[in-house]
Amino acid sequence: MRMKLALFAVFALSAAIAADQETLDRGKKVEQTTCLPCHSLRLIESQRLPRATWDKEITKMAGWGWTAKPEDRAALLEFLAANYGDDKPAAPPEKSADGRK
Amino acid sequence: MLAALFAAVTSVQPAATQSVAAAGGVAIPGKRPMILHNDRPEDLESPGTYFDTWVTPVDSFFVRQHLPRPARIDPAAYKLKLNGMVSNPKEVSLAELQALPQFTVPATLECTGNGRGFYLPKVPGIQWKRGAVGNAEWQGPRLSDVLKLAGPNDAAEFVEIDGADTPVGQTPDFVRSMPMKKAMHPATILALKMNGEMPQMHGFPARLVVPGWDGTSWVKWVTRLTPQAKESGGFFMNPGYRIPGIPLPPGTPARPAELEVIEGMPVKSSIMLPEDGSKFAMGAIPVGGIAWAGEEAIERVEVSFDGGARWQAAALSPQKLHFAWRLWHVDWKPEGPGYHTILSRATDTAGRVQPFVPAWNPSGYLWNGIDRIGVTVEAKA
Repeated sequence: MRMKLALFAVFALSAAIAADQETLDRGKKVEQTTCLPCHSLRLIESQRLPRATWDKEITKMAGWGWTAKPEDRAALLEFLAANYGDDKPAAPPEKSADGRK
Repeated sequence: MLAALFAAVTSVQPAATQSVAAAGGVAIPGKRPMILHNDRPEDLESPGTYFDTWVTPVDSFFVRQHLPRPARIDPAAYKLKLNGMVSNPKEVSLAELQALPQFTVPATLECTGNGRGFYLPKVPGIQWKRGAVGNAEWQGPRLSDVLKLAGPNDAAEFVEIDGADTPVGQTPDFVRSMPMKKAMHPATILALKMNGEMPQMHGFPARLVVPGWDGTSWVKWVTRLTPQAKESGGFFMNPGYRIPGIPLPPGTPARPAELEVIEGMPVKSSIMLPEDGSKFAMGAIPVGGIAWAGEEAIERVEVSFDGGARWQAAALSPQKLHFAWRLWHVDWKPEGPGYHTILSRATDTAGRVQPFVPAWNPSGYLWNGIDRIGVTVEAKA
């Protein structure tokens, strides 16, 4: 029983920490194709948010015309949570180049 | 004397600062290097080293845009529509606005979400730290004089404002409204100049200046003013740019019925120099920043170098104006080597004091917590 519980815990943990690479790749592709029409990706990638907040943000964007197949939506959420979760280090600030003439 | 003190803030560079990566060569026309939060539309934060002058130059001034910037408006073709509850609906040219009496208002403009990046738990939106704020000399006709051209009805309690920016996809348009009382205030102007020019990114040819109110009221590229009986109800008035009327436990969702429109701004100071995380050799270290208080003026700024046990008064720049910030400065001599926490706290002319803990809110607005940085002082070899 104890062994089964331990195995279950390991399984649950690995599922929680690692969505499979295929899903993450798909999520990245969804980000790079469906978010860009309205804003740069930096707006997304400069944030670190809990998974539930990313989920709400996707719903907000869907309300503003963002569309995707359900499996693409799920992959996007996995990608955002895996790379830009609030457990990740803060995004290093980036500066623009000098734009004065 | 004060000028010399403030000059000193910029002339001493810390021995080491956190590195800021270059953002792939992206350059924003007319701007010095800015902290880049969004390339398109441009959302730009001013680095701490730029806050060394009372008037923020246009090339250093932060930028916040919700929607793609409109194409440059031809000043000869520009028309401002005045409609709604008015006796004489009309369209006004730029020349007509220029022919009205012109007023200059020095005022601090701060993004409503400035400091969002400090809230915990994290909230969505641009993760501004200290630099979505600037102080400029705005010039143009009073909004009251503009509205009077069309004869607003006494029953109009609000005015709706639209700009030339338009939605992308199915996003809502950026439309705001404010109470007629604030619109008719003599310091509320339709600015045609910002420090003597009006760059397209800051609202050419006309932007609202609503002194003491948060940035979302300062609509850019203004093309329509509509007196109305009731507050406008678009997304950017509700639920956008609202805060809980009854404070929420951090991390809990908004209660829509309890959200209230933001009017005015709290008292606040920020430490702009040195940069958080800097390292110094033992010796005098200039510490400085800015302080502002919405519709009030700054009475004093105090700084602590011992975690808040003792506070000392900072020297303040001389202009003590409602609506505009004051620069502050302390010449600090660390008592010894090691890591030091520096805090700043402002008090305004109404007696409001900057709090240790600002009220968490789901959209991360109005951050005004006592500012805090840490620096390391190294013993001389």
